[in-house]
Amino acid sequence: MSVYNSFQKIITSLQSFWIDQGCVLLQPYDLEVGAGTFHPATVLRVLGPDPIWKAAYVQPCRRPTDGRYGENPNRLQHYYQFQVIIQPSPEDIQNLYLESLKFIGLNPKDHDIRFVEDDWESPTLGASGLGWEIWCDGMEISQFTYFQQVGGIEVKPVASEITYGLERLAMFIQKIENVYDLDWDGIDKKKGGKTYGDIFLQQEKEFSKYNFEKSQTSSLFKQFNDAETECKNLLHDKKNILALPAYHQCIKASHIFNLLDARGVISVSERQSYILRVRNMARSSCLAWMGKLNE
Amino acid sequence: MNNVEKSRGNLLLEFFSEEIPARMQLNSEIQLQNLFVKSLTQRDIAFESFKTFSGPRHLSIIIKSIELEQKDHEIEKKGPRFDANQKAIDGFLKSNQLKIDETIIKETNNGKFYFHSQMVKGQKTYEILPEIISEIVNGFVWPKSQRWANTDLKWARPLRNIVLLLNDDVVKGKVEIGKNVFLNFNNFTFSHRYNDKKIVINKIENYEQLLEENFVTLDRNKRLDKIVNDSSSLLDKEKLKLVNDNSLLEEVVGLVEYPNILIGSISKEFMKLPREVLSTAMRVHQKYFSITDKENNLVSKFLFVANSIKEKERDFRVIEGNERVLKARLSDASYFFENDIANTFENWNEKLKYVLFYESLGSLNDKIIRMANISKIFAEEFGVKSELAKQAAILSKADLVSEMVMEFPELQGIMGGHYAKIKNEHEEVTKAIIEHYKPKGISDNLPETKLGSLLSMVDKIDTLVGFFSIKKKPTGSKDPFALRRNSFSIVQILINFKINLSLNELLEPSLKEYGCSSQSIKQNLIDFMIDKLKYIFSNKNNRIDVVNSVLNTTIVNDIPIKIISRRIDSIIKFTKNNDFKIFLANYKRINNILKSEKFSNNAVFQVNKKLFETIEEQNIYKLSNSFSKEIIKKGICEKSQDTLINYLIKMNEPISLFFDNVIVNHYDYNIRINRLNLLKNLHNSISKFSIFHLIED
Repeated sequence: MSVYNSFQKIITSLQSFWIDQGCVLLQPYDLEVGAGTFHPATVLRVLGPDPIWKAAYVQPCRRPTDGRYGENPNRLQHYYQFQVIIQPSPEDIQNLYLESLKFIGLNPKDHDIRFVEDDWESPTLGASGLGWEIWCDGMEISQFTYFQQVGGIEVKPVASEITYGLERLAMFIQKIENVYDLDWDGIDKKKGGKTYGDIFLQQEKEFSKYNFEKSQTSSLFKQFNDAETECKNLLHDKKNILALPAYHQCIKASHIFNLLDARGVISVSERQSYILRVRNMARSSCLAWMGKLNE
Repeated sequence: MNNVEKSRGNLLLEFFSEEIPARMQLNSEIQLQNLFVKSLTQRDIAFESFKTFSGPRHLSIIIKSIELEQKDHEIEKKGPRFDANQKAIDGFLKSNQLKIDETIIKETNNGKFYFHSQMVKGQKTYEILPEIISEIVNGFVWPKSQRWANTDLKWARPLRNIVLLLNDDVVKGKVEIGKNVFLNFNNFTFSHRYNDKKIVINKIENYEQLLEENFVTLDRNKRLDKIVNDSSSLLDKEKLKLVNDNSLLEEVVGLVEYPNILIGSISKEFMKLPREVLSTAMRVHQKYFSITDKENNLVSKFLFVANSIKEKERDFRVIEGNERVLKARLSDASYFFENDIANTFENWNEKLKYVLFYESLGSLNDKIIRMANISKIFAEEFGVKSELAKQAAILSKADLVSEMVMEFPELQGIMGGHYAKIKNEHEEVTKAIIEHYKPKGISDNLPETKLGSLLSMVDKIDTLVGFFSIKKKPTGSKDPFALRRNSFSIVQILINFKINLSLNELLEPSLKEYGCSSQSIKQNLIDFMIDKLKYIFSNKNNRIDVVNSVLNTTIVNDIPIKIISRRIDSIIKFTKNNDFKIFLANYKRINNILKSEKFSNNAVFQVNKKLFETIEEQNIYKLSNSFSKEIIKKGICEKSQDTLINYLIKMNEPISLFFDNVIVNHYDYNIRINRLNLLKNLHNSISKFSIFHLIED
């Protein structure tokens, strides 16, 4: 395996490509999130204040219900996304994306690239957009969305979001069938090189057990309520509205909800109301960020 | 502009955008044509013909022989009313710089008005086009659309370029798509992403060919033909064939600009998966076609359509990539299948307790218990064993919580059937589970087996009654729980299997399950079902009048559907019979008399025999009573419907004699009322069979 397309090389190549496009290179948000979109650099920044906003970052994502105890070659409860958010959406954004693929050793001319309708909606964020999943030889390697709404608020100007599923992309580039066999660093195993499995297999096993069996649901319920209360408190005092910490609590609540969901302790009828509670936190935080909470 | 003086020329308009969803393309082609034709017609610009194209990124229309100049036409301006005050009239004249003798007064629907008409010289088409294009762009309606960057315009996906050529020259102009954001009309478009070129169109007649050379087949029918032809030439030599799937074919045509048909292999290990699992996994996520041999067995190959130019090395790479993706998908499916097989129906049903059917209608487990209870009641009528009916209902929804159906919801029922078979359930039960979601619409096939039909019907009755019981019946165009479709399915099954159950008998057990005793809810349900019966029957025989005459009878809820069906058929058969026509005339005469006497309510009237003065009255009295008895005796016997009509026909003579010899409008009030009562009784007893005056002559 060449150094060129190791997992970490893919990340650094994408970073340098999007830096060259004028993006701010950020680091992951330091909370558990379900998708790179949750990062305040996406959710809040597309609502202002600057009409021009370009950012790129890696974001570890957690989806507790997708855990498979390390036994499924394609599913993980923790994985990486590379997220690019550009506002306003540039005219040549599709071409830029295709260019970025060349940068990581995937020449579109050598493959069958397709933009297949896939509209995106996040009920918890009150966000939606239109776009595609991008197929390379039948494999979905990225998600492309024109943001129309966030927190139930119109996004103006419209932003374009590109999300690369890094494991999928790397598996495609390395022609690997099991995610745990991915070459992480491009270094020979005998010389101490690491695979994805070396780094994450134990984590998948332990967290699957935690997510599905060991988490304390009573404590999680309490944490959810606490986060919600905190979020409300932070937006309550009209003279000291703290949008960013409030949104931080919203992200927390969202992850706690996912953990509860993995334990199967939220009934179908309750589910909707939990989603609504997170959405309300997201909406208030977004409005607060825009300075429009009390309008 | 062209130097040669011409009065007509060709036009090309192309909207070039980012990839439009496949499902919207064909409609956009039709819409483009309709909007353009409308704009031209409104402006009196004639043309000869047009041709439209649509694909992922190119949406275009060529209009042949369009007039280069608009015809001179009259513009009419409406002024104030004829009798308006002078100020208003002066205002109209002043603002239009007119003298009073340049106006005329014309009569309209709202009275007389001042009008001014003026001949306007036709403009050059070239000059009007920007306005037309703007009209089309803003008039476009997409099922789902978006803004992008700073635009206000909504398009299915960002619109990036507009080609507008008239007589091979680019039309100067632009369309505003946002505040200070414009798209100029150009004479160039773009090729396939493979060679990613700007293509300048010098001649409209070369447009299609030019793009074809740059790997964009504009015409969707040509793309479709290519897919179909190349597939068969690839498969024919191996004596294989494609599994017919028109909606997938349509979709794939919209996903490629330059179809390249490729065949990949499925690892043998996956061929043990049920056929439906294989084809669903391929179809839903990957848009692959299944392939069978001559005996219709699935083979370990799949066909797909790439958006690329044929080239051995690349094709090989693309096939390999797709095979790898499919392998991952199928290993997921195998994993689900094995987990599911290791699971049990008891376990799944336990889980169903936590899956809500609908708020306040209980869990899915509650639903199957209700279904089982009702199934037992109807089993005999469907000619199936009550134990099997119960078992089928109990197992019917388990697969909804199986891993496979969680992943592929379209496999509901099918997986339940497979798993029931693996668990050695009775063959009838497994088939019933598979079939019980049928029919999925009014044109879908009905379940083939009796048990499947029973299960399907019971499932739908439970849903229908449940939602009605919590006052969620459909209103207007809103029918979120598909209750209309459900009730159509119930009716179709009832008619198909000639079920000897009345609406009351059908609905009672389910209402009881829900503990619902409201008469008004029951009546709503019956009215709803009768509505659907009317639709289905009259669709079959085209005699809505006869259908209404039977279904509007007061006791229709108690007549078995089978009898209703037979009675309608019988009456239709008799409508050609002359004696029947006489009967119909007599009935209508009676009906008219009662109506004019305001005697048409349904109360029962005591006839006083002592007031009879004629034998004719006595005869009518006897007929009326005996028909009442007949209809009780034979009314619900399938074979007696003709007999009953013949019985009615035999009344012709006594009724005629009655009208010839008896004066209804007697001077003695008591006799008159008694005679009306006599007719009313006859009318009532006949109307239990059918309300004959609704039948057209």
